[in-house]
Amino acid sequence: MSEPLDPECLPIRSTLDVVTARHAARELCERLGFGKADQTRLATAVSELARNVIQYAGEGRCLIEDGSDDRQRCIRVRIEDQGPGIRDLQQALTDGYSTSGGLGAGLPGTRRLVDEFQIESAPGSTRVTIALIKRR
Amino acid sequence: MNTAFQRLQRDRRGELLAAWQQHLAATFDRHHPHPPSLDVQREVLFDALLNTLTSGAPEDDFRLDPETDLARHLNRLIAEQARQLANPSDTIGALLALKQLVARALIDTNPQTPVIEDLLWLDRVFDGLSLFAFKSFVDIRERLIAEQSLSLLELSTPVLRVWSQVLLLPLVGVIDTQRARQITERLLEAIALHEARVTILDLTGVPVLDTSVAQHLMKTIDAARLLGSRVVMTGISPEGAQTLTKLGIRFADVISRATLRAGLAEALLLIDRRIAPIDEARPS
Repeated sequence: MSEPLDPECLPIRSTLDVVTARHAARELCERLGFGKADQTRLATAVSELARNVIQYAGEGRCLIEDGSDDRQRCIRVRIEDQGPGIRDLQQALTDGYSTSGGLGAGLPGTRRLVDEFQIESAPGSTRVTIALIKRR
Repeated sequence: MNTAFQRLQRDRRGELLAAWQQHLAATFDRHHPHPPSLDVQREVLFDALLNTLTSGAPEDDFRLDPETDLARHLNRLIAEQARQLANPSDTIGALLALKQLVARALIDTNPQTPVIEDLLWLDRVFDGLSLFAFKSFVDIRERLIAEQSLSLLELSTPVLRVWSQVLLLPLVGVIDTQRARQITERLLEAIALHEARVTILDLTGVPVLDTSVAQHLMKTIDAARLLGSRVVMTGISPEGAQTLTKLGIRFADVISRATLRAGLAEALLLIDRRIAPIDEARPS
């Protein structure tokens, strides 16, 4: 448990990859000793973000890594794409706002689901990093 | 006409074929069932290949025409192996093994004359064959996969009539746009057919409830309501419920029960029925 596990990099090109990515996230989550609620939380968050990649950018990738140290257990997921980017981050993080006729709950909901949430976006590069953290 | 290959075909056909079959028996066939028809198929392919080699001039370009005998025989062999879920490298490995044998024989039978041009021709032919083999292998596999996922799709959306006017739709697995559409279609047909007043939507088998799945479900529920059927959702796990609320998704005014059992009881209540012990129903 003290030895951090190697990061896993998964391509996201189709809805099938969304399933693979969230499965991998859930698995690592479980291996690191997170509970069932946390696993579901993270899997759902990864699912949201990966689906966004497919919908808005077409393809991207997902990096899942173990960021644990002596004091805390931590699983970090970075999802990035080279798509058109998010024009108005503020708006995209507002409940009910969607440019695609969706529920508009994806990004703001994901932010509420996870313990750490960072997003940076410009035309040609969008990167969202999320993390679940639990004190030992 | 290519004389070097003609000589080869005339003098060493049997020997080469035997060597190839032997090689395949020792490598590929050890891991796979080996029906007797396979030997015949290979022999036919072998002859078609020798014919192609002899009929071309060394300076010819080679592209395998799918209409030729050679392509047809190759295709048949590959189809067989792909269906047995063999490894594509085994199939192509079998071809390359034959190339080695032929090249060696070519050099041996022509000790005096240089055979470089012939070897290059041999190379081109086998390159063409390998490319063709690879492509048809992938094509066949892809077709198999498409067929399988189609049949899964067929299987995975049953609409069950659990009582008169009560339908059960157990959802299992990943719900994407295509499946959601199919689920909705099936359900609406069934509601209309059975004049269902209640539909139980069981989500026990749905691994992740994210906004996209939720949106699909909402549309299905709305459509069911338009046909006059109430919807009872069941099987959302405690974690799932927590996640949905955190996401900010509200299934406002949809009846939801934790278990299918409770959902069934609720559904019966909605049509003024209940499950009672037999004794109670009998007049005493």
